[in-house]
Amino acid sequence: MSVKKISKDDFAVFVDALIGKTSVIGVQAKGDRFDFAPLESAKDLRLDYDVTLQPPKKYLLPPTEVLMTFEIGGAYHSQYQDQPFVLLGVHPYDMVAINQMDELFQQDNYDTHYMKRRDNATIIACDVVKPSENVFASSMGTAVVRGGYDILLTDVGGAYVVESGTPKGEKLLAEMKGTVADEAALKSRDAVWSKNEKGLNRHELKCDAAYLPRLLEKAYDHPVWAERAKTCFACGSCNQVCPTCYCFNVQDDVNWDLQTGKRERAWDGCLLDGFTKVAGEHEFRNPRSDRFRHRLYRKAKYVPPKIGGQIACVGCGRCVAACLPDIANPVSVYNRLIDDLGIG
Amino acid sequence: MSKPKIAIFDFACCEGCQLQFVNLEEELLDLIGVADVVEWREAMSEKSDEYDIAIIEGSITRLEDEERLKLIRSRAKILIALGACATIGGVNKLKNNFDDLDEVKKCVYGTDSKKPHLATQPTKSVGEVVDVDFHVHGCPIDRKEFTYIVRCLLLGKTPEIPDYPVCVECKAKGNPCLWQYGQVCLGPIIRAGCGARCPSNGFRCFGCRGYTSNPNVDAAKDVIDKFGLTVDHLKTKMVLFGSRQEPTIYG
Ligand code: SF4
Ligand code: SF4
Ligand code: SF4
Ligand code: SF4
Ligand code: SF4
Repeated sequence: MSVKKISKDDFAVFVDALIGKTSVIGVQAKGDRFDFAPLESAKDLRLDYDVTLQPPKKYLLPPTEVLMTFEIGGAYHSQYQDQPFVLLGVHPYDMVAINQMDELFQQDNYDTHYMKRRDNATIIACDVVKPSENVFASSMGTAVVRGGYDILLTDVGGAYVVESGTPKGEKLLAEMKGTVADEAALKSRDAVWSKNEKGLNRHELKCDAAYLPRLLEKAYDHPVWAERAKTCFACGSCNQVCPTCYCFNVQDDVNWDLQTGKRERAWDGCLLDGFTKVAGEHEFRNPRSDRFRHRLYRKAKYVPPKIGGQIACVGCGRCVAACLPDIANPVSVYNRLIDDLGIG
Repeated sequence: MSKPKIAIFDFACCEGCQLQFVNLEEELLDLIGVADVVEWREAMSEKSDEYDIAIIEGSITRLEDEERLKLIRSRAKILIALGACATIGGVNKLKNNFDDLDEVKKCVYGTDSKKPHLATQPTKSVGEVVDVDFHVHGCPIDRKEFTYIVRCLLLGKTPEIPDYPVCVECKAKGNPCLWQYGQVCLGPIIRAGCGARCPSNGFRCFGCRGYTSNPNVDAAKDVIDKFGLTVDHLKTKMVLFGSRQEPTIYG
């Protein structure tokens, strides 16, 4: 795969040309925050953003989507969104989250709806320029990313260093102006990487992230779960903004003929009352403290074995900002456990 | 199966929720295609004592209304409370904050306050008088939710009404939280289902869908502290749709 250096102006020309050819979802300002949204012009693109309100997940797993249409007692037809698109400006931690989702949605029941969107996506990732207020990607080993993207952009001052990661990306790279990246440009990129590997760390985990599954082995009955859950709204904000939360609920609705209808899925969240309610109104994770614990166990104990030991919290910090009573911060919970239970 | 008969009745309210029926436009014809509307004061002159589904809009503020509602309940197989006035008493419960209702009447109606048709009692929601089978929340109701509930009923299926807070829908829409912009938003303790209508338009949730069944009001007090506000800020926001209801804060 090749590495180029391209001026910011030339990159803007490339983006505008891309917008003319395909649908481009890029990071833009939303009031005084940022979010991914359909991009109409390169001048709206904000690759200097700190963090987006929602992770790019919603373009692969939308908040609601129709899975199929059906006729009661008759046939059903799966529904797919089958349009190519470009995700522009994905930060490394969010790229890691997408890589994890890719693995998970291919396991067990291969999720054709997710995978169809994923196959249609071209991802242009970019290294972080400005750390957000609550990011702790350095603690989670997700401050830089070495795979999953089609193209990776790194801002090295006046220009971008651009590297392709896939044949799809290589083709796009060929459409960009610019020169083969020289030694100096590559050095500047290394400097950005080393800086971010340490510097995206507004909350510092007191252990190696890889130790977390073992830490949680002995924390199930710790008082921290009940203490924190006392002020939990069960509002699911921590779930709704998380790039690695993928739970959904499935619901049917019929048309006025009362014969045909559609099946939809919508994001769910393990913190919500009723999340574990099953037939007969039985609810097996009813106390809020159980659900509060579940999210933090899921991130660092239940999911890791499914994805080669990676921790399923990428340290984006969004849940920290989203939680009004300020209890959701994974680092502060894990650190509290380390203080009480020690390492080893 | 013959078409089920639907009758629509209004009590103390602004009739804004019924207006949402009219706003259904094409869907109204779909509805009439699968059910017979046999009584609907706002749109037709016929009256009927025979119906399967009674839809009640408005809250109950007079003794004779209680009797009328009980009669409707005895005739209907299914009773639906429509809109905040009916589901939680709504804005009409504001008057329950005053101990002396005669004073309230004098203030509102002046010298007419003694007229017999203005005889009134503390406001009740429909559910405080009779059993309610289904609640259509909101002030006004959400048309999509209403038609969904009706279709579920016609199929004999229990509709899924959210019992989680507005924040869920607000966050899914990618809204920044209004608390961070100085607004006291009731979203964390109010039932979702409106698609976070207000916060998505930059306005705090004032609670028209009523509390979730297990709202954490103590946490709300903590959050008030964190943002340097006082419990009074929260109380004044809760009173519009939460008067004389658990767990609104008083005193
Ligand atoms: S748990 Fe919080 S910090 Fe971790 S990935 Fe999810 S939202 Fe980001
Ligand atoms: S931990 Fe915070 S964000 Fe998550 S459900 Fe509880 S109050 Fe909401
Ligand atoms: S709930 Fe609101 S809109 Fe509906 S009748 Fe009452 S006041 Fe009017
Ligand atoms: S604005 Fe209101 S509804 Fe939205 S997240 Fe904040 S508290 Fe919840
Ligand atoms: S956001 Fe709150 S006040 Fe607005 S419609 Fe929804 S429940 Fe009612």
